[in-house]
Amino acid sequence: MIFSSIPFLYYFLPVVLLLYFLVPKRLKNLVLLLSSLFFYGWGEPKYVVIMVISIVVGFVLGHLIEVFRGKGLSKVFLILSVISAICMLGYFKYMDFFITNINAVTGLSLPLLKITLPIGISFYLFQILSYTVDVYRGTVPAQKNIIHFGAYVSCFPQLIAGPIVRYSDIAEQLSSRTHTFEKTAYGIRRFIMGLSKKVLLANALGELCDIFRASDDKSVLFYWLYAISFTLHIYFDFSGYSDMAIGLGKIFGFDFIENFNHPYISKSITEFWRRWHISLGSWFRDYVYIPLGGNRVSKGRWFLNILTVWMLTGFWHGASWNFIVWGLLYAAFLVLEKLFLGKYLKNSKVWCHIYVMFIVCFGFVIFNATNLGEALQYFGAMFGAGSVPFVSTEFTYYLGSFGFILLLSIAGSTPLPMILTKKISGIKNGMGERILNIAEPIISVILLLLVTAYLVDGSFNPFLYFRF
Amino acid sequence: MNQTIKNKIMVFGMAAILGIISLFCWFKPHTDYSYSERRVLAKFPSLTLDTVTNGKFMSEFETYTLDQFPLRDTFRGLKSFSSLYLMGQSDVNDLTITNGYVAKNEYPANEAMLENAGKKFRYLYDTYMKDSNVNLYFSIVPDKNYYTSIKSGSLAMDYEMLVDTMTKQTDYMKYIDLFQVLSIRDYYRTDTHWKQENLVPVAIVLSDVMGVETSMNYTKTQLEEPFYGVYYGQLALPLSPDTITYLTNEIVESCIVTDYNSGKPVTIPMYDLSQATAKDPYELFVGGNTPLVTIENPLATTDKELVIFRDSFTSSLAPLLATGYSKVTLVDIRYINSGMLGNFIEFDNQDVLFLYSTLVLNSSTILK
Repeated sequence: MIFSSIPFLYYFLPVVLLLYFLVPKRLKNLVLLLSSLFFYGWGEPKYVVIMVISIVVGFVLGHLIEVFRGKGLSKVFLILSVISAICMLGYFKYMDFFITNINAVTGLSLPLLKITLPIGISFYLFQILSYTVDVYRGTVPAQKNIIHFGAYVSCFPQLIAGPIVRYSDIAEQLSSRTHTFEKTAYGIRRFIMGLSKKVLLANALGELCDIFRASDDKSVLFYWLYAISFTLHIYFDFSGYSDMAIGLGKIFGFDFIENFNHPYISKSITEFWRRWHISLGSWFRDYVYIPLGGNRVSKGRWFLNILTVWMLTGFWHGASWNFIVWGLLYAAFLVLEKLFLGKYLKNSKVWCHIYVMFIVCFGFVIFNATNLGEALQYFGAMFGAGSVPFVSTEFTYYLGSFGFILLLSIAGSTPLPMILTKKISGIKNGMGERILNIAEPIISVILLLLVTAYLVDGSFNPFLYFRF
Repeated sequence: MNQTIKNKIMVFGMAAILGIISLFCWFKPHTDYSYSERRVLAKFPSLTLDTVTNGKFMSEFETYTLDQFPLRDTFRGLKSFSSLYLMGQSDVNDLTITNGYVAKNEYPANEAMLENAGKKFRYLYDTYMKDSNVNLYFSIVPDKNYYTSIKSGSLAMDYEMLVDTMTKQTDYMKYIDLFQVLSIRDYYRTDTHWKQENLVPVAIVLSDVMGVETSMNYTKTQLEEPFYGVYYGQLALPLSPDTITYLTNEIVESCIVTDYNSGKPVTIPMYDLSQATAKDPYELFVGGNTPLVTIENPLATTDKELVIFRDSFTSSLAPLLATGYSKVTLVDIRYINSGMLGNFIEFDNQDVLFLYSTLVLNSSTILK
């Protein structure tokens, strides 16, 4: 089930909210756990078992790590936890990739397993890993209640697309959290904002990308339009989903980590990755980069650490070479920025933004390509290679048709809406605040009805990060 | 209004809206058919262990919730309104509005489809007409986008290429150009089809080339019922409906129309007015979409016969052409296999007109 769907909005969510707020406090996590398993099972009935096994294994190993703290066995159980997560990911996500490459290198014809990837497996296994590692480090005590632990791992608001919530961030909230009008109202606003970003902008931009891909009338400018559209599409798709997750979290009393902070205004790639998919970046930093030695090693080792982390980041996104290359592309620019590029970027006001958006756009062309060959062909076409005309009829038409959506999306990806809201709120004598207080609920209702209209029409509505 | 009140309004207001819409979703009586979309709506899916474990129930349930959503057409209209007027998009589901006329972005012209249509016509010619004494004519009905795209800048197929490709493939027929005879005003605003009351010039152009004389004077009768064309439902905007006007005169009224759809000849009215309130009122012309229909004209001053290979556009034109012939046979090879035509029609000393819209030519796999 996805948030941006009628079954979720008008069937699942109202029932869960009703049950959740009706039951006494001690049963709230049970409602959350059961509804999360139902939510997960709706899309992947057979994989609920995998989820339950993961919860039980994570819970038991966390417990054993704590029981044997300070002894060798504690490390053994931690290693077991890491191995079990890697094995699950390896089997479900990467097995066919490995087989394909083994076949290519050795000339063998090992059959592919063609396993359907369990939705959200990369997210919830990372959450379990962060839990067992933190218990091992002694950062958090092991959870004694399997219902609470199950609610943490399976928590449907962030189950399938993050943010990757660390156990340490919500450990206290699992047993004791508050529900206030302020928090709930914020959650509703945030959820509707995310839903609108996803349905009104991301879906339209995704439609434009699909139109481009299906077009027989491509041109240099159409390739650029595609690259820009996909860059905006993935941002609104993913950040919209994160907004929905954070908003739902607030409604259920949780404070989830922010996942995006206007990444497209970054002045360097280093800054970009502090603003993009923050929960994943910080996860790799804390559980891979720092344990490898981080930057407190020789320069050569430091750069190797960066390459390793970014290769893994790319690989986390998908079992394909283009994801690995995508990750390595960022690693290369991060290293260059650390070597010499960073100081030039600091002195720049305009070029730094152009530089970042170029890398990001190119990166996403690689990211969304079906293979590296296609990515190279796209790059070539963007610079007029081949017999691609400069402009085409379809480009002109779709630029006109999606022009306003593109402008709205570009503006929406910057802090402009936030600045505007602050300006209004700063109008003298509290008038601005009053305007916002009246406008907010009205705009929220309008957006909800508008989103409902788009969903009822049953148009384009996939969700990119499901495949991760 | 302070923050606390705003927060309470937000929470209770949203809970009320979510609750009310949800209650309607859960308990609204089911609707079987959507007249605006001209399709059967999804029913509640079968709930079994199998359908749940294989995910079929879930995917069908999603379709069901969309189809049965309360005020579905209103919400669809809101989406169209938003796409066109808030988001500034040029089309909704490929539909554009130009001066009140709804047209579809028929794009691009598919050469493979055109070649397929040409091959199909060649097969008919080789099989039934090559060695018979028939006069062959070919004409194309432009879709509305031909006229609207110039003004709206919407995507349009390369009509010049389409006509060129088709005429080259049908060089054994005489081509009659209708593109310059028609204008956008000759089409319904909310439907794909042309209006019969504007087709007299079309009938004259065709009959002049084919060497017959068709009537020029008719009585116009306008139906009281509004006509919501196929695009009306697809666009879901509150556009004003069209009206259907049909043409009669003494000759048209005397014609005997026979439908062979059921395998046996059945006499049907030239204009079935009961269709005015049916799901597609355009079907009132000459039996609508049916594979084989004949129109016999007892008042004809000639014994010439006409066979038309046609699509739905011909339904409204045929009564006018029938005034110039003793018999007109309408063949729709979308509903009858071309190989079976020899059982029903003997091609001998007739005029044969292939009259197809650009829409059918560009998706010619529907021709059997």
